Amino acid sequence: MIATRVAAEPPVVADPMVPPRRHLPPLFLLGASGAVAVVLLAPLLFLLIEASGSGVGTIAHLIWRPLTATLLWNTVRLTVVVTALCAVIGTLTAWLVECTDLPGRRIWAVLLVIPFAIPDFVVSFGWASISTWVQGFQGAVLVMTLAVYPLVYLPVAASLRGADPGLEDAARSLGLGRVRTFLRVTVGQARGAILGGCVLVALVILAEYGAFEILGYQTFTTEIFTEFQVSFNVPTACALSLVLVVLGGLILGGEPVARGKGRAVRTGAQAQRAIRRHRLGRATLPVHAALAILVALALGVPFGASVYWMFAGGAFLTGVSLLDAGWHTALYSGVAAALATLLALPVALLAVRHSGRGGRLLERSTYLVLAMPGLVIALAISYFAERYAAGFGYQSATLLIAAYAILFFPLALVGVRASVAHAPVALEEAARSLGRRPDEVFLRVTLPLIGPGLAAAFCLVFLACATELTATLVLVPTGVQTLATQFWAYQQNLSYGQAAPFALVIIAIAAVPSYVLARYFDRLPSRAGTAS
Amino acid sequence: MSEPGAPIAPDRIGSTSVPAAAPASLAAPTATEGLTAADLHKAFGDHPVLRGVDLTVPDGAFAAVLGASGSGKTTLLRILAGFERPDRGVVAVGGVILDDDHHHLRAERRRVGYVPQEGSLFPHLTVEGNVGFGLRVREGREAEIAELLERVGLSGLGRRYPHELSGGQQQRVALARALAVRPRIVLLDEPFASLDAGLRATVRADVRAAVRRSGATAVLVTHDQDEALSIADLVAVIRDGVVAQVAPPRDLYESPVDPDLARFVGEANLIEGISYGSAAETPLGWLELRDGHRPARQQVTVLVRPEQLRVAASAGGGPGVAARVVETGFHGHDALVRLVMEDAAASPMVARVVGGMRLEAGAQVTLKVTGPVHCWPTPPAGDASPDLPAAQPDAGPG
Repeated sequence: MIATRVAAEPPVVADPMVPPRRHLPPLFLLGASGAVAVVLLAPLLFLLIEASGSGVGTIAHLIWRPLTATLLWNTVRLTVVVTALCAVIGTLTAWLVECTDLPGRRIWAVLLVIPFAIPDFVVSFGWASISTWVQGFQGAVLVMTLAVYPLVYLPVAASLRGADPGLEDAARSLGLGRVRTFLRVTVGQARGAILGGCVLVALVILAEYGAFEILGYQTFTTEIFTEFQVSFNVPTACALSLVLVVLGGLILGGEPVARGKGRAVRTGAQAQRAIRRHRLGRATLPVHAALAILVALALGVPFGASVYWMFAGGAFLTGVSLLDAGWHTALYSGVAAALATLLALPVALLAVRHSGRGGRLLERSTYLVLAMPGLVIALAISYFAERYAAGFGYQSATLLIAAYAILFFPLALVGVRASVAHAPVALEEAARSLGRRPDEVFLRVTLPLIGPGLAAAFCLVFLACATELTATLVLVPTGVQTLATQFWAYQQNLSYGQAAPFALVIIAIAAVPSYVLARYFDRLPSRAGTAS
Repeated sequence: MSEPGAPIAPDRIGSTSVPAAAPASLAAPTATEGLTAADLHKAFGDHPVLRGVDLTVPDGAFAAVLGASGSGKTTLLRILAGFERPDRGVVAVGGVILDDDHHHLRAERRRVGYVPQEGSLFPHLTVEGNVGFGLRVREGREAEIAELLERVGLSGLGRRYPHELSGGQQQRVALARALAVRPRIVLLDEPFASLDAGLRATVRADVRAAVRRSGATAVLVTHDQDEALSIADLVAVIRDGVVAQVAPPRDLYESPVDPDLARFVGEANLIEGISYGSAAETPLGWLELRDGHRPARQQVTVLVRPEQLRVAASAGGGPGVAARVVETGFHGHDALVRLVMEDAAASPMVARVVGGMRLEAGAQVTLKVTGPVHCWPTPPAGDASPDLPAAQPDAGPG
């Protein structure tokens, strides 16, 4: 039947006018990704323009003074101590959950991750509102460690889940004891994950504003915020921002160096043996107690304090303002999340499907955003709009949404990348060879495959925006409150009772969906391959 | 059906690097039937991958494209499928041009069935959804899918999702999916590479049978010479971006175009000798030449396949050349024995013997060659030129 049809259109049936566009998709993608990279790096550019506007001499003078040294000392010692603590706590808890026969592992796995979803400024509020000891350096160490250790826990747990149990067996057979096996093989295998987590921890501490403000601990971010928002001293804010960005760049750039060249190599089929769990034996009870204390401190205190203040604070629920703030939060976060997901798509496509040098470089460059704290991004955008764009969008939601999209682009990229990897190009080719037009292929193959991942990426960014405080404080339109800014206003007035409901709402909208999303991304790899 | 008027330059068609040795089992193909690729060039950046590939596959034949990794075989397949466009050259199926310098028929309009390397089933669709993906008609759809699944031996698994299938089952579904659109050509990209050795043989045989029943012309790409020789009617060896030889498996194995190809397709003993008409004098004695007549007193390189060497214990004292066993590689059904000849400085030889035969290292044996052998004139300077033709005009000295 087909043979006759084909023969009926002799002798030439090829479309005469298909242009030679073999290289067009990469070019188009390159262009789009390049544009995205420019947008993402715009704040850095604005910052540099600002700095050069003030004059190099002025900036240098502003940097070269005792204040900078104090801030540097405060920031660096906090970063080092918290990162080290997080590395230890995150790795140990991940090992306990993934590699031992700890009873109730699944419940612990959830409880250990939830603190990550609670914004640092809420944790800080919880602690500071019930204890005067929690302030300054020791307060910052306590609060930040409890708030961000999951950044180490999550990647290490994932890495241990995928680790090759054969390596531990090999180490034992080579005469290493249990402890040395743990330190040299287990930790060694998870080294990349631990390091990656530590980098994230350090970057979060550099960027954190709200928690330190509450605790009265002075870092670069708190000082920049004061200079810009309170004293309107733009050159100083700009000079300090530059130092902060350089610090972030150092941390980001140091990671590949510290990671080294070792890669997990595995020969043979991917069939994975079940992990043989270590027996805790008599240590079971003490381990349970330690984990319970950790969860109580990280989760119980902020939550408990909020509940306490809500009922004991003497204030009552301001329902209207809660609804109003919630609406604006949802609106801004939703638009920003859609935008960030959209921006991430071409970069992810380029990185996954055309892993050439240009694509890798572009993808890398977008990660530079990680070195830019939200405060710096917000200041750069706000200042630039005011000064050079004739106030375009100033005091409107546009700038806030742009700042969100830039700030959380790396988060969106992680999600979109995973989803694009889910739709390998071979599937689209197979679909086309079955006679489907490109638009049909997109609707019937590509979209169903990447859709859930895109939705997940959207949700990730949405949650991050909804709980963002620092950039929001700078860029929120006048007369508008979001959940975070309203909480902040009450908290600043020491109206704990009125702040508490906002804290609880923020916890609720952050924690529950985060858990669902974490489960989703956990399941991704196992569903990725078509070959079992 | 195949009009001679199809605008293909006649000098390009059917020109393989070997004088057309059409397999006897196949009807002599006219140039426009089946699949024709002529003078295909493709480069990625500065890196040429295909440098003038010519390949003709008769209608309904099962061809294998055999090549080492990086030889360009996958690129050839992707061009045939329409995923890549050749820089130069012609692709035609059944007399209809799919690619030439001015035309490029897009993949979705070629009706070329494509079975990707890892199966590449749509993970969000069931087996039925996958198989029916290319079907556009509604009525009879279910019956058709059921028939296709039965043809590949997967009846009753239609409701499963790809991740619930074994690797072999996934490959069968991928084949059924490709056959559903009743393609004239089926392209298979190393479809068995990821399967367990035990599974491979059965899946291979079933795929072969299913493709044959569909009547489609098939092109299988592989780096596995056993696979190519066992599955195909016609094997094309691709080397450095050109087709080195196209021949039925037996001809390819017995009469490869040059010593390099002989070593690539199976184990080969290459020994020097002097030809006298239809026989050659070698360290293994007088050997009958396969291709008939050779000019007298010509230096030749003779190909002796391991299974052509009869090994006998010396105690028997039979006729043959004395040799000593160096080592034996036991494979169960057979064994490969490495030997050195006692009196010659020739390099070690490999012989294939039945697995039950016990030959310890150091054992004295005698060697005898059975059957006719293939030979090539030895290049004078001693450098093995790959382009020597298998036949030469009778113009030798004497």
